[in-house]
Amino acid sequence: MSAAYVYGVGTSRFGRQPGVGAPWLAQQAIGEALDDAGLDDLGAIDAVFAGTVFGAPGTAQRALQLLGITGVPILTFENACATSTTALHEARHAVLSGRFRRVLCLGVETMTLHFSGPITPEETDAEGRAGLALPGVYAMVASRYEYLYGLEPKALAAVSVKNRRHGALNPRAQHGAEVTAEEVLASRMVADPLTLLQCCDISDAATAAVIGGERGVGRDVRIAGSALRSGELWDHRSTHPWGYELMSTVAGQAWREAGIGPGDVDVFEVHDAFTIGEITATEALGIAEPGGGCDLVLSGHTALGGAQPVNPSGGLLSRGHPLGATGLAQIAEAVWQLRGDAGARQVEGARVAAVETMGGGTAGIDGNGCVVVVLGG
Amino acid sequence: MSSTTEPTGDPRPRVVTGPGGGGDVAVAGWRCSGCGHPIAQQVSRCPLCRSSVADSVFPAEGEIWASTCLRVRVPGHTPPFAVAYLVLDDGPRVLVHTPGEQPLPPASRAKVTGMSETGDLLAVAVEETA
Repeated sequence: MSAAYVYGVGTSRFGRQPGVGAPWLAQQAIGEALDDAGLDDLGAIDAVFAGTVFGAPGTAQRALQLLGITGVPILTFENACATSTTALHEARHAVLSGRFRRVLCLGVETMTLHFSGPITPEETDAEGRAGLALPGVYAMVASRYEYLYGLEPKALAAVSVKNRRHGALNPRAQHGAEVTAEEVLASRMVADPLTLLQCCDISDAATAAVIGGERGVGRDVRIAGSALRSGELWDHRSTHPWGYELMSTVAGQAWREAGIGPGDVDVFEVHDAFTIGEITATEALGIAEPGGGCDLVLSGHTALGGAQPVNPSGGLLSRGHPLGATGLAQIAEAVWQLRGDAGARQVEGARVAAVETMGGGTAGIDGNGCVVVVLGG
Repeated sequence: MSSTTEPTGDPRPRVVTGPGGGGDVAVAGWRCSGCGHPIAQQVSRCPLCRSSVADSVFPAEGEIWASTCLRVRVPGHTPPFAVAYLVLDDGPRVLVHTPGEQPLPPASRAKVTGMSETGDLLAVAVEETA
């Protein structure tokens, strides 16, 4: 198989939906993805690559049997925030290798079943035990970034303003209200310098995509390249903020595989769980030089109508963050953009899209895992 | 060859009496017998070269690498609490708690003085002398 394609994508509603179980969310996402792929025959699915971070054992099987998707290999992945983009990356390679013809990818998470606010740090982790919750991890990124390059609060606020403006155009967004920079900076401080409106909300949701080989359908979106790896040791020898080197390395691999560079990409979906994450991601992807991410957002380069819009969906800041489902939500937005189906947030003439998902939380490494996927072209 | 001390179940670094004795404090850890890599988390072998590691103590003083103040609820800790990455002199980087709500600025000097009530490394700013 020379290339793998996304046949169809789907999502459930995003939001805090306590009491709505993973099987119901998964049914919504899978149903839409199968319809979008034009697959009526459930026998067309050869395998399911699922992802959940906090889901109970058997989460995928419990949902899939209700859809009649049984008697096939079901693999469940966990890679922190990059869980379902990891599933997609692996599904792509399973199709390319000929192991499976068509793979259903599923991401599902019921965050409100486990948390009411920020994710509780892992007690077996040296830094988690010391109280370093994820907002603190990203606040440390901002601290280091400010030391290296300078960081004005207005640049952080601009990411939130931009993405929430985009999210207001996305009917699937959990938070669809626009905000001003003043409101962002005046919102409650979570971890200096990150205020509440610079942090994504938790969310309950499911997302799905059907991956297969070339079948001659014009709506199918080619996966031009994808890369996945875990972080290197990140210790006293490191100079860059957490995650930068991992994102940069993975992006380099994805660009080489796709045979293009960041300048060839029309639209990006990147991991903006916290505002500083988008700034470092845009630099690691090569859209800007290190230290240039702030100018990128302040200049409008990454806004809808700019040269290279980033997070036209509104990103995690608007959509919310159902960890295991987030990666495929980013993929779904990229697919809609490349098909011209993104409605009011459509990036005109989008032909190439890139998705970056960064997962973290483990002390001592530069990230649990990062995935970069290049689509279209 | 494995590390010479048994795991305690608490993954956080701890302080020990420093070489000066008395109130002198050092940070306990491990150092690779092959490449000299300093490590704050307990390992059975060096993660760089797989050589054996030996118990070691590191100077309590170092340079702040990054810092913040957490103002959200975290189990076992009462907000607000300030934390920082501190690169110990000739030693590993460790996560420390620092007094008050004002994070210590990167590149400033700080020194581990003991353990907090919550069992975390506690560090304070080192006054610069002319």
